[in-house]
Amino acid sequence: MSARLVNRGLDALTWLVLALMLSPILWLVLSSLQTDGQLSRGAYDLLSPTFDAFTRMWQSVDFERYLLNSLIICTAAALCATAFAACAGYALARFQFRGGKALSLGVVGTQLIPGSLFLLPVFMGFVWLKQNTPIALFDTHLGMVLVYTAFFTPVAIYFMRYFFIAIPRDLEEAAMVDGCNRFGAFVKIVLPAAAPGLVATFVYAFLFAWDELLFVAALTQENAETIPIGIRNFIGNYQERTAQLMAAGVVSTLPVLIAFFATQRWLVKGITAGAVKG
Amino acid sequence: MASIAFEGVSKVFDDGTRAVDELDLQIPDGEFTILVGPSGSGKSTALRMLAGLEETTSGEISIGSRVVTDVAPKDRDIAMVFQSYALYPHMSVAENMGFALKLQKVPKDDVRARVASAASRLGIGELLERRPKALSGGQRQRVALGRAIVRSPEAFLMDEPLSNLDAKLRVEMRAYIARLHQELGTTTLYVTHDQTEAMTMGDRVAVMRDGRLEQVDTPQALYERPANVFVAGFIGSPAMNLLRGVASEAGVMLGTQRLAVRTPHRGEVIVGIRPEALEPAGEDGPDVLSLRVVLSEMLGSDVLLHLEAPTSSVLTGDMLDTPDEELVDDTTRFVARVPPSFRADPGVHVHLRVDLDRVHLFDPETERVIPR
Repeated sequence: MSARLVNRGLDALTWLVLALMLSPILWLVLSSLQTDGQLSRGAYDLLSPTFDAFTRMWQSVDFERYLLNSLIICTAAALCATAFAACAGYALARFQFRGGKALSLGVVGTQLIPGSLFLLPVFMGFVWLKQNTPIALFDTHLGMVLVYTAFFTPVAIYFMRYFFIAIPRDLEEAAMVDGCNRFGAFVKIVLPAAAPGLVATFVYAFLFAWDELLFVAALTQENAETIPIGIRNFIGNYQERTAQLMAAGVVSTLPVLIAFFATQRWLVKGITAGAVKG
Repeated sequence: MASIAFEGVSKVFDDGTRAVDELDLQIPDGEFTILVGPSGSGKSTALRMLAGLEETTSGEISIGSRVVTDVAPKDRDIAMVFQSYALYPHMSVAENMGFALKLQKVPKDDVRARVASAASRLGIGELLERRPKALSGGQRQRVALGRAIVRSPEAFLMDEPLSNLDAKLRVEMRAYIARLHQELGTTTLYVTHDQTEAMTMGDRVAVMRDGRLEQVDTPQALYERPANVFVAGFIGSPAMNLLRGVASEAGVMLGTQRLAVRTPHRGEVIVGIRPEALEPAGEDGPDVLSLRVVLSEMLGSDVLLHLEAPTSSVLTGDMLDTPDEELVDDTTRFVARVPPSFRADPGVHVHLRVDLDRVHLFDPETERVIPR
């Protein structure tokens, strides 16, 4: 068998795997354009799609609120995690201090503990705060932002540390000779040079928070519920709103897709090329 | 512009490594001084201490009349060119060059004018809007130089700025930097491990080894009057031939061959003969060495004859990149530079007359030069 044939075969296999992986999304999109009746009968009519589900989904469930909550909580948490991680990651990458190595190891170590173990302590903590202090974290945006920030900061630190290690020290030293103090060099030179890392870390944290169900289900009741809860609400005991469920799925995937395509240039290649001899 | 002074400056790293040991070096205002030495000799550390990027363990560093030992890099009024160029990747060439001026709050129009003037001087006027990644190595080098000169600082510090360039560009930029210094007259400290750069560019050359300053002098004086075996072996290309010999009243014996060198020293010596201090002689005679040819390299203007040494020759550990060993013996190393008309095939014996005025003697114990 010629090498060309093998290559063609491998190409075909790649496309097949890709098609298989994308087929649920196709199914999601196609189903969102049908009526509940068509879906329950399995009688898809692809030639006459209807956007009915997309208009009704906002009325039957307050999906706008969930979407807004998700956007606020996920953006804030991802911003906080990225900001904290940038500072901590830089310190771990550049400074030698007592306990620095242990701290680096500890940051990675946190990832070995299943996150769900923290659910009960966090829940009890929130309840205790609510009963004994004026600090309101249960079912608030702030509470969820704090939880997600705490969750994603360690792994974000781990990410950022490696991005900073890859940035040549010469850059910030040049900035310091040019007239910056260390913090100025960090803000004006290192952070922009680490922009792909910052974007990647932000997107990573954002996407994880966007999908998270367990904690938001336990720690919110009404005010701060996010999209995963909202989607669940389309399925009730006495109602079948499958088309709207699918439409909500499509709508909730859109920000993720937009985030990915808008930042993929940054995610894939760094801009540090050319800073030093390459 | 200002003078620079290191007074008893030492740097000991946390792991106990003494990178710079009691460095005393004065650089007069406007001078181009080269700090040269093998890797690990402490030259870059010394430069970084002058820049303020490395803390000084002891001693005092001054720029002009100002002691800057504990002054932050940004307040030293110096500009530095890095080996890696260290151009800011997210800024255009113009922004890179104007960055320091912007931090000094120089008005925008002034910044633009000074950047444009420096850029045209460096021949990079048409690159101002480009990003560093869109530049070639030589162009990046010029931008790095431009970033330094646009500020008109008290002093330029250059840390092996040419070592990332290819050989041809390196020769070109070497002359270019030397000319730039002549035009600007700014005090410059230039670090390199390349002795050719040191010899061709500097007003004075400071040779360092193991954190200590071995000798400071003009390139010519270093070449003609090296203070010790290390400087003798490090300066000059091809390196000086260093042979083990024995000094007596009759002169210096290299194995069975005698050179009528007068010296009050008696006993073992290290004899230094530059490849240029040998000339073809018709026949054997006084001060003529008879040596077997190992290899003949035609360079066009000269021929380098690699010969079997009359006695064991000495290489300093640094020349072999084995700093742990001080002196290493190698029986075959002896090089002569002769005119291209002189032809000798491998295996034959040739007669070479030694210019006795250009023979150097060193004490094998102290490795220091023996006055003649």
